[in-house]
Amino acid sequence: MIKKVFEKPLNFLETILFLDFIKGMSITIKQAFTKTITTHYPYEKLTPPKRFRGFFGHKTVNGLEPQPAFDEWVERMKIEPRPGQSRCVVCYLCKKACPVPDLFEIDGKKLENGKKVVSVFNMNLMLCTFCGLCVDACPVDCLFQSDIHETASFSRKDAILNLEKLEAIGKSWQDRREHEPDRIWIDDDARQALWRENKLNLKKVDNA
Amino acid sequence: MQASERTLNEIKAKLPYVEVKKDKLLSIVYVQKELLINTLKAIKEDFGFKLFIDHSVVDTLEAQNRFEAFYILYNVDTKERIVVKTRTEHSLPSAEKLWFAAKWAERECYDMFGINYEGHEHLVRAFMWDTYSYHPLRKDFPLQGYETVELPSLNETVFGDTLSGTMNYRRTHTYVPTLKDLEYTEKNRIKKKAQVVLNWGPLHPGTHGTMWFLFDLEGERIVQTDVILGQLHRGVEKLAEHEPYQQFLVYTDRMDYISALCSNQAWTVAVERLLGIEDIVPLKAKYIRTMMSELQRINSHLLWLGTYALDLGALTIFLYAFKEREKIMDIIEGITGARLTISYTRIGGVRMDLPEGALEVIESFIKFFPKELKDWEKILSRNRIWVKRNKDVGVLSKEDIYFYGLTGAVARGSGVFYDIRKLEPYDAYSMVEFDVPLGENGDCYDRYLVRIEEMKQSIRIIEQCVQKLKTMSSNEPFMAESQDPKKLKLTLDGIGLKVPAGEIYSSGENPRGELGFYINSKGGLKPYRVKIRPGSFYNLCVYPHLMENRYVADAVTILASLDPVVGEVDR
Amino acid sequence: MSIVALGIIIAIKVVIILAIILGIGAYLTLVERKVAAHIQRRPGPMVVGWHGLLQPLADGIKLLTKEDILPSSANQVLYNLAIIMALVPASLVFAVVPFGPEIHVFGYDIKPILTDVNIGIIMAFAFGSLAVYGVALSGWASNSKYALIGALRKAGIIISYEVVITFAALGPIMLAKSLSTYDIVMAQIHQKVWYIFLQPISFVVFVFALLAETGRVPFDIQEAEAELVTGFTVEYGGMKFGLFPLVEWYVEVLSLSSILTVLYLGGWSPINIPFVGFIDPLFFLGPWSGFIWFIIKVTILFLLVLWLHWTLPRYRIDQITTIAWKVMLPLALFNILITTFIAPLLRG
Repeated sequence: MIKKVFEKPLNFLETILFLDFIKGMSITIKQAFTKTITTHYPYEKLTPPKRFRGFFGHKTVNGLEPQPAFDEWVERMKIEPRPGQSRCVVCYLCKKACPVPDLFEIDGKKLENGKKVVSVFNMNLMLCTFCGLCVDACPVDCLFQSDIHETASFSRKDAILNLEKLEAIGKSWQDRREHEPDRIWIDDDARQALWRENKLNLKKVDNA
Repeated sequence: MQASERTLNEIKAKLPYVEVKKDKLLSIVYVQKELLINTLKAIKEDFGFKLFIDHSVVDTLEAQNRFEAFYILYNVDTKERIVVKTRTEHSLPSAEKLWFAAKWAERECYDMFGINYEGHEHLVRAFMWDTYSYHPLRKDFPLQGYETVELPSLNETVFGDTLSGTMNYRRTHTYVPTLKDLEYTEKNRIKKKAQVVLNWGPLHPGTHGTMWFLFDLEGERIVQTDVILGQLHRGVEKLAEHEPYQQFLVYTDRMDYISALCSNQAWTVAVERLLGIEDIVPLKAKYIRTMMSELQRINSHLLWLGTYALDLGALTIFLYAFKEREKIMDIIEGITGARLTISYTRIGGVRMDLPEGALEVIESFIKFFPKELKDWEKILSRNRIWVKRNKDVGVLSKEDIYFYGLTGAVARGSGVFYDIRKLEPYDAYSMVEFDVPLGENGDCYDRYLVRIEEMKQSIRIIEQCVQKLKTMSSNEPFMAESQDPKKLKLTLDGIGLKVPAGEIYSSGENPRGELGFYINSKGGLKPYRVKIRPGSFYNLCVYPHLMENRYVADAVTILASLDPVVGEVDR
Repeated sequence: MSIVALGIIIAIKVVIILAIILGIGAYLTLVERKVAAHIQRRPGPMVVGWHGLLQPLADGIKLLTKEDILPSSANQVLYNLAIIMALVPASLVFAVVPFGPEIHVFGYDIKPILTDVNIGIIMAFAFGSLAVYGVALSGWASNSKYALIGALRKAGIIISYEVVITFAALGPIMLAKSLSTYDIVMAQIHQKVWYIFLQPISFVVFVFALLAETGRVPFDIQEAEAELVTGFTVEYGGMKFGLFPLVEWYVEVLSLSSILTVLYLGGWSPINIPFVGFIDPLFFLGPWSGFIWFIIKVTILFLLVLWLHWTLPRYRIDQITTIAWKVMLPLALFNILITTFIAPLLRG
């Protein structure tokens, strides 16, 4: 259970022949002739994995909602589902789950037929910790995190996501990456530059 | 574990003026303020509770004696922990003669609560600047502070923008210290005895973060030093009183930001122990948490090795260590979605199961990593320059470990067997086999060897976890199911989780030391008081003692071998 | 030779030497960055020009166009004088370095050495000693605690290792029986042996002294970024800051490596088999092969210095001076003792 750590000191022959230096130098010269491992950003980029926690989005109503949860919540909160627009049922669960009190600003408006629909959904991402508790809380798989990570902007207004921006991110995600399998990452050339020396071969998984 | 009935009865027999109490989670000794120092001395010397763990104060807002102070002590030989409590209105006797670590803990309590310690050698504020007039952790201080200063916001109004639509960006702020305040703090901190007072920090590439050291120099030799902390103080303990238990998890990431998963795990295990649900957490979740925590331990030690070698001049080891670190971060990103601030554990389990291919990637990593580690050891471990820089530098004896409250690799380098994973196992640590490396002399070279060996032992643990996880099917649960959903609601998002009244101290073995959480709950959604026991804070308090009569060049070596992280020191 | 022809030859030599120092010095920054990068498994500068070949140009333009700062409490005359005192002596060492054998051009016999004085080696070490002034003056004139500590450390190191390097160089001087650099090379050619085979201890001591004088790892405690953030140059900016590493790390390494090839590796002679003769794989270049061999040897030494820089950690200041006075100096003196027995056995 206990392991004593100890390292032998140098003996006389090693001291005068500088063997400790020579062994160290042989390692560095060997590394100097192997391939480089870096990715030349911004000319080459890595694709983030499926679970990446980037900017947020709202998935739109397209027939792939989780049933029976979606139908139950639509009935309970009296929502009118509109195809091609956000799935939000204005349940305020994401606002309750968020560690930051002022991050979400959510409101719904009443339509003429008595049903409600979401009208205001602002997220102040300057305060966000990107923890994903709101994504865990959403009961209809509407709020999710996409792979957008290049988010620098020139003014504070660009860091506030309103309903249109969220729906746009959601639509683009559903077209690009919704059907990807839940694999640890996608094999692309940039990732191979780092992992080549590990001789990694992952099984190929077909799109679900 | 906590002290047994027998020990408590012996204490009651020897010191008849105390009251003892043992409940399910803690063993407590109550004593009056006037007899506090005698009690602590007796418990330390006669009963062997030599290791100082923590000391802080709870503001109970009662009419008489509103502050309840507690001291947590540990007995390394019999593996028992004890809590000594007392009540006071505004002052306490100082315990700094018994433990030096108490001196720093008392500075922090004076800063945060305003308690005056009699007999303290130099009572200054620990985190705030010296001319600050409030005591923030008292219950009558509001969460957002007193916003008295108007600071106009920056660029957009210059360009004619009116900040509309930016969701209430406030313009009044709390007071920000000026240069005069900082100069007053610096002059007050150290009384100059020798030629020159050199400021090392707060902005310096060698100090591992924003720590401010003052060196009193005589030529190249240092006569005395002191540390000014608090440049990264964010008030995490005050925030904890206003956050539900699950939502506090994001703050634990940001304290020790290099090994975030270990801090997450320590908090989750503490709340699970307080709820009493440690046994119903599924086995798969325990193995996943252990495996990820050991990956983070390798990650943190690689950063330590890289910056240590960089500070001492071997510049390539820094980049080799970061190459392997990049691989670990890729693994963690693929499993959890984030690289640095992870928040992956939930109270009752983990957030998601492992994705496809995760176990193969981890296996290929641990097959290749020991070869790399052996190569780097060839460059460094027996190199005569490295040995000359590290041997007999910063020697700590076993008595020093107890006196300064040191934990982690620093304690193990001096030969004290103190590893929370073996003494109070949590998660799957009782089900895997690994060795604990111990050093002999307690100098920087031994601490270096101990951490390198810890990395190898982590590889062993990960291998066993991977073998076990391969046998588990993907249908096994990763989150605990509550037996009585009306009383105890366990969900992934933590809304509505109520914790019964009680208190607990529970700690986890972070790579940097022991991270402990003292949670005092009065029932309800949010805790009443959370005290975080940071490993780096108490590891740093031995620095002035080690730097006496050494050269400036050793300042870097000793600081790097103690391995502090400012996020944890300042919280 | 007439005065005019002599003047023109000297002018040509001066221009060639200055062009080589400043031009190659700038490009050596790129060589160092590329070698260091490949040791660290990354490509190095790749954006400016093909694979970063125009990077020194970009760096030079950046440094020249920066604001020229003078700290308000600094001594202006000494602040600017320190740079000159650093650059000039390091370049002057090249005045006594022989680059190749005597060549016949346009009917004139020219020795490719700027001044062939008969105390060449002593001149080289004297110029090296003047380098202390640049360091000490810049540390004092900057009026800052960090600069002062760095300058004192560096001055202490240079002074200690000056003594060591001079005693180490006495070995080959005794074997060659002359102080002129040109004659030392000719002596190695006549005796058909490079002095490295007869003086291994002295060679090792000289290499360590080279690393210490030029401020390279393991003796670069002066630039230890973690403690002193570039040491005595901390108050300089722009091209004045750029000149200090250029002089210290590149020009001085080149000049001391040239002295090392002259003393130990036989100057411009091709590959040597001890006591038997020379083999010249580059015989087809005629009289110019000597120059190419000189350049090859200096390049190999420079790459060796780089290789050591990016592998080893660094010593502490008291350990550096202890090594100089307690280990290196006795070794050098011991070497002189042995050489007194070997020197009479060599003829020529």
